Amino acid sequence: MGTISSAFDMISGALNADQSALSIVANNVANANTPGYTMETPNWRENDPIQINGVQYGDGVTETGATSMRDSVLSARLDQQQQLASASNARLTALDGVQALFTPDSGSSSSTAGDIGNDLTGFFSSFSSLEAQPTNNSLREEVLTSATTLAGNISNAAASLNTQRSALDQEASGVISQVNGLTSSIAQLNQQIQSTSPNADAGTLEDQRQLDLSQLSQLIGINQVKTENNGLSVTTTSGQLLVSESSSFQLTSGSVSGVTHFYVGTTDITSQLTSGGGELGGYLTARDQDIPGALSSLDQLAYGVSTSVNQLNNTGADMNGNSGTSGAPLYIFNEPTQVAGSALAMDVTMTDPSLVAAAGAGMGTGDNSNAVAMAKLGNESLMQPIATTAFGLSQNLSASSPSATSSFEVYDSLGNSHPATVTYTNQGSNTWGYSISVPDALTANSSVPGSVSYSFGAGETVNPGTNLTISGNTAGGGIATISALTVTGGEVVGTAGPPATGYVAALDAQITAAGITGVTVSNTGGALTISGATGTAGSVIADPAESANATGTLSFNASGALVSPAVNVSGITFTGLSDGAAPLNLNWNLYSANGAGTIKQTAAPSLQSGESQNGSAGASSGPTPTGYFSNFVSTLGATVSGVQAENTAQNASVTQLQTQNNALSQVNLNDEAAALSTLESSYQAASKVFTVLSTVMESALNLGTETAFS
Amino acid sequence: MRVDPSYTSNLVSALDQSQLNEQQLTAELSSGVSITSLSQNPVASGENVLLLNQIQQDDSFTQSSSMVTSQLQVSDSTLGSVVSQLTQAISLATSANNGTMNASDVKSIGNQISGILDEVQSLANTNYEGQYIFAGGQTSTIPFTTSTVTSPATTTYNGDDDLNYLQAPNGQKIQLNVPGSQIFSAAGTNSVFGALNSLVADYSSGTVNTTQAVTDTEALGTALNFVSQQRVVVDNSITQLSAASDAITSQQTQLTTAQTNLMQADVATVSTQLSLSETQQTALEDVIAQLDSQSNSLFSKLQ
Repeated sequence: MGTISSAFDMISGALNADQSALSIVANNVANANTPGYTMETPNWRENDPIQINGVQYGDGVTETGATSMRDSVLSARLDQQQQLASASNARLTALDGVQALFTPDSGSSSSTAGDIGNDLTGFFSSFSSLEAQPTNNSLREEVLTSATTLAGNISNAAASLNTQRSALDQEASGVISQVNGLTSSIAQLNQQIQSTSPNADAGTLEDQRQLDLSQLSQLIGINQVKTENNGLSVTTTSGQLLVSESSSFQLTSGSVSGVTHFYVGTTDITSQLTSGGGELGGYLTARDQDIPGALSSLDQLAYGVSTSVNQLNNTGADMNGNSGTSGAPLYIFNEPTQVAGSALAMDVTMTDPSLVAAAGAGMGTGDNSNAVAMAKLGNESLMQPIATTAFGLSQNLSASSPSATSSFEVYDSLGNSHPATVTYTNQGSNTWGYSISVPDALTANSSVPGSVSYSFGAGETVNPGTNLTISGNTAGGGIATISALTVTGGEVVGTAGPPATGYVAALDAQITAAGITGVTVSNTGGALTISGATGTAGSVIADPAESANATGTLSFNASGALVSPAVNVSGITFTGLSDGAAPLNLNWNLYSANGAGTIKQTAAPSLQSGESQNGSAGASSGPTPTGYFSNFVSTLGATVSGVQAENTAQNASVTQLQTQNNALSQVNLNDEAAALSTLESSYQAASKVFTVLSTVMESALNLGTETAFS
Repeated sequence: MRVDPSYTSNLVSALDQSQLNEQQLTAELSSGVSITSLSQNPVASGENVLLLNQIQQDDSFTQSSSMVTSQLQVSDSTLGSVVSQLTQAISLATSANNGTMNASDVKSIGNQISGILDEVQSLANTNYEGQYIFAGGQTSTIPFTTSTVTSPATTTYNGDDDLNYLQAPNGQKIQLNVPGSQIFSAAGTNSVFGALNSLVADYSSGTVNTTQAVTDTEALGTALNFVSQQRVVVDNSITQLSAASDAITSQQTQLTTAQTNLMQADVATVSTQLSLSETQQTALEDVIAQLDSQSNSLFSKLQ
């Protein structure tokens, strides 16, 4: 049977519970505008009933604390969507900067400064005008003026793109300190949560962790994995661990060829971060894909226009009746040696308008045939480099000679030419061994981990700049990579000194300037040796290996005709010829029309009488210069437009998820007011019950005498 | 059902968007251009580059065309003068050949034809803006010089046979010059200077070898016809240029219209959009103000 005392206990418990619940409401209202705060609701628990003489009686209520109104799945989805939206937002901002460089010309003025499309037309039209009066000096000057405008605007656009790229690089590298701060904080919170609330929601601590995760999601793409005891692991979207429960792994940065790369330990995670999302993903996508893509298009345009115009002008006749020579070429633009960098370097080298070759070679100065041809370039396909894919040689091999050589030029995918050699060795019995070599600009004598050395033989052309990269740890804990300096013609190797001299000194200074420590450069007996700090993480010296020479055997019959191999030699591959060039795949045409079976064994002295190849420094294909630029602006516009649409959709999705999350987790003042009102009533009722109980108790104590005891 | 308590911030985002929209529409109205960035219409932006290229090419051709038309007109009028000079020479020669003139008159005619020869040579050496127009590609070299060492005198052509063309944007090639060799010193009986020099020699002594003089006069007649034919080539070029120029100008007008349609803002549409956007903004502002003036929660009702 229940007693008044137990009723007192129950009602005082109810008053306590109401007070606790009211304090939760007060906390909710107090934190209504606190970022990351998750609304809490009181947990009411009916006390276990008691059984007296087989009869069950209720035992009041207890308030067991607050529960944060949280949906971790929804939060994770919101974070994920936020990563995508942040990435597209950062990328869009960068792309807006890029497209602002190519604002469409409205057409109301046909001479809008900075419009490359108009510049192209203006340049080629200047040759059309020259057709009318090929000797007119002011029209010739107009050619150079319009060339200068075109080159200046292309070069400026490339320079602006490079500046934007550098700015993005700086913004990207600024993100890592924020990321590291957040991952450290998450690791610390993990530890606190695991120790204080391993089995239940950790309330405020959980709020803080969720806020950190949301902020981290704005910066980089992450995956969250719940671990035991309410812990959490955070990885990049491609799985690189950033936080493992109470440990965090810091991001570091280092410079590789002037661009910031990001590392966790020694792992370069730049490309993972690029595709991962978040602000950093957006910056890196713009830095490593969008801007280089735009630059590459401008490079192609600049390369095509410069080489084709130079080539034609060089073969025409200027006002003095002269054509260009190898010693004194008649180039209007500075001649690009490769596509990459052509836009930035585009410039007009010709200053004398009389050198514009309006006339055809050997024609009078009044001839306009070359001006017609140059004007036509504006409506012809843009010149682009193509690599050599096949070559043929016309060579006789003297049966009495021990060896012979054929030499020829091959072109890589960037249009750079390389001298190639076939060395034939007489093996007797009408059989010759052959070895085809395309020399790498720099040949390593030995290469062991952390150290590589090169011999500078007499007269050998060396160019470590083409493909030698040196990476090493920096004093700041990052990793820096440099492309080694190019050796200039006749430069001495030098010594490590002191004082250091020659190329050794220059390379050493470059390594020091990059902040790389523990890598030394020396010269031992004419061999340049670059040694890294062995065993140090991240210390790598790399020279892409050149393919082995292609070798084989040629057999001739008694009359000197080639009988073996019976088919053309294919599958000859050379790599590492120039920075950024694709591997060079060659076929040796022994039986095709252009070099058909022309290698013979004869009694006459060995002699190479001809060569043919299908590659060249440039070949016309694809759209016209203006068409190319038109495609470029369309593609750029479509990219920006696509990212805009993506960003709008992602932001809408974020808003939707945010609304859902707010509905669940944000403090709703209406709810709080209602709860307050309910709790107030409940508290008032409990107080009333207490008062009544008190009266009842008083009556009981006074045995019905109302005033004796109060 | 629970609701997002911070819905007002969404309204503010909508208000921002509406203001941005208005800003863009106002910019379109004030500049008159509908596409101010590539992403607004990537395809039109690319098309714009091509249209402007064609328009400028057409414009450039029209200018070149007017430049070369002047030169061709000079050629035509020069050849017109040559024709009248030659006609006069033929008439003089014909009168000298009829056998009625005395030696003095014949010599006088010889002198007059010699004067015509000088005049024709001067016409053949006509230059336009410092360039000899009948010298082929050798426009800086005087095309015709006469040596009197021989008899008859010899007029030499110092130019070449180079033909210049002007290429129209549609690929049509229009001949810009006729080399002097083709007009004045063509092979066979077509040589103007050969015939004139022979006639001067024929009449220089005062005694006429009628057979020879008649042959030479006929040769001059043939040469005159040939000059007239060459003049037709020049006239044809002028006609072709004029026709091409008209066609190109008409094309340019069409292209400019197309380009204007592509890039220019449609004022009516933009104004309507602006008006709609303004209405939306006002509505949003009213809603936000209304919400602000009301209490945002039940707390205001608690006693």
